[in-house]
Amino acid sequence: MTAKPKTIWDRLEDIPREILYGLLLICVIVPMLFPIGFPVPISAEVQRWYDTIEALPAGSVVMVDFGYSGGGEPELAPFAVATYAHLFRKTGIKVVTMCTSSEGPLLWERAMVELNIARFGKEYGKDYINIGYIAGTETAMAAVGKSISATTSTDYKGTPLSQYSIMKGVDNAKDFALLIEYTTGGDQSEGWVRQWYTSYKTPYLCCVLAMMVPTMLPYQKAGQIVSVVSGAQAGQVELLVKVPGRGVKSADVITVTHLLCIALVAVGNIAYFGKKFSGGKS
Amino acid sequence: MSIVMKKSVPILLVFITSLIFLAEYFVFPELKDVVTLLQNWGIILTAFTLGFGAVNMFMFHGKQVSLRAKGQWPYSLWLLMILVLFTLVGVIMGATSTSYSWLYNSSYFALSATVYSSLGFYMTSGIYRALRAKNAESALLLIVGVIVLARNAPALAAQFPILVSMDSWLSSVPTTSAQRGIMIGAALGAIALGLRTMIGRETGFLGRLTEGEKGG
Repeated sequence: MTAKPKTIWDRLEDIPREILYGLLLICVIVPMLFPIGFPVPISAEVQRWYDTIEALPAGSVVMVDFGYSGGGEPELAPFAVATYAHLFRKTGIKVVTMCTSSEGPLLWERAMVELNIARFGKEYGKDYINIGYIAGTETAMAAVGKSISATTSTDYKGTPLSQYSIMKGVDNAKDFALLIEYTTGGDQSEGWVRQWYTSYKTPYLCCVLAMMVPTMLPYQKAGQIVSVVSGAQAGQVELLVKVPGRGVKSADVITVTHLLCIALVAVGNIAYFGKKFSGGKS
Repeated sequence: MSIVMKKSVPILLVFITSLIFLAEYFVFPELKDVVTLLQNWGIILTAFTLGFGAVNMFMFHGKQVSLRAKGQWPYSLWLLMILVLFTLVGVIMGATSTSYSWLYNSSYFALSATVYSSLGFYMTSGIYRALRAKNAESALLLIVGVIVLARNAPALAAQFPILVSMDSWLSSVPTTSAQRGIMIGAALGAIALGLRTMIGRETGFLGRLTEGEKGG
């Protein structure tokens, strides 16, 4: 008994995954090598993110949490770098960074190298600091919110915090004008709402992986988070801050790969209905 | 170990600690120092569990290597070698040293980003196969999926602003409503679990207890 030959609809309905992977690879590599320069519209969330930082008065202290792991770096780091550039461009803003991810200090160092912090003329310990990884996730957030000095006595390098001028008068959540979170974990993104916004009403900006955004939207809708953005929107903030980098480059890739997905969905459905109406079973 | 030490004392400790936290948040803010102390203990214990986890891994994989477990021991050996390498470099040269950063950036970071990025390939294949209008429900999923896909392509969103409005409605009405339902349900569950743990009705955190030890 010979197998029934495959029709065009059969072939289009079940394209081998190797071909799909190959097409995706082409759609990722080509725009990276030959940027197309597609427009990057600014979304309301990213505009609100930018405006919140822009509205910070001189002398404000900002808490930043590096809560992502290495796997999320390509998506979240460009957003973090552009936001640091925005914060450091403003006059008199102090930035205290902590890490709720054990990889945080290493990823923060990577971000600082990418940022090329020397061009902003900012000094470690005076304008910015990293107090390192603090274990416990939500427990750490709550403890730092109550008292940084009671939670940790050193920065991420092990140098006593008392030696840094930035920490003078900065000890608990009430001393911070803004909280910014970058994370690949729901524990962190939701934990800050519970431990800082609920207790101290600290304005909170939250940058998560694109797939996490829907889980965070209720908090934004309730006013507990000023803006929830995905790291994939980094190109928008880079354009607003005028520091084009990895985010803008990846915008072309995002457009082309999404167009590929839409095209594949269309092909799959055309094949499905083509087969159905030509008498074949689906 | 007596049942008192195994069950009653831990439950009493949990009850007292929970009461202190609740009292500090709702009634007596003066208890802040006590709560800060307890939170710091929590942080230290969490940090300790990281080291404990490493010891546990050593014991488990060391056994796999010593028994030459078929199909497993080379991976266990490799894991132990990497664990020792990272630990030695971190302890001797410091976790913020350039050597440790190099080790992390050129091994774990690169692998971790690669594995995560590979999801894109599976998602592409999944989208192609799953989004088919085979019935009313899947047609709805298809329409919503295509709108969200198109809206998240920056160039398409710029060209067709209606996509932004549609996505915004989908995000703020159906998605948020459903997500709120899930969150409120989970929160109520967490409150019930917390209360049960406080009064000793939930004993999962005590580890394995016999039916007799579990009691009522």
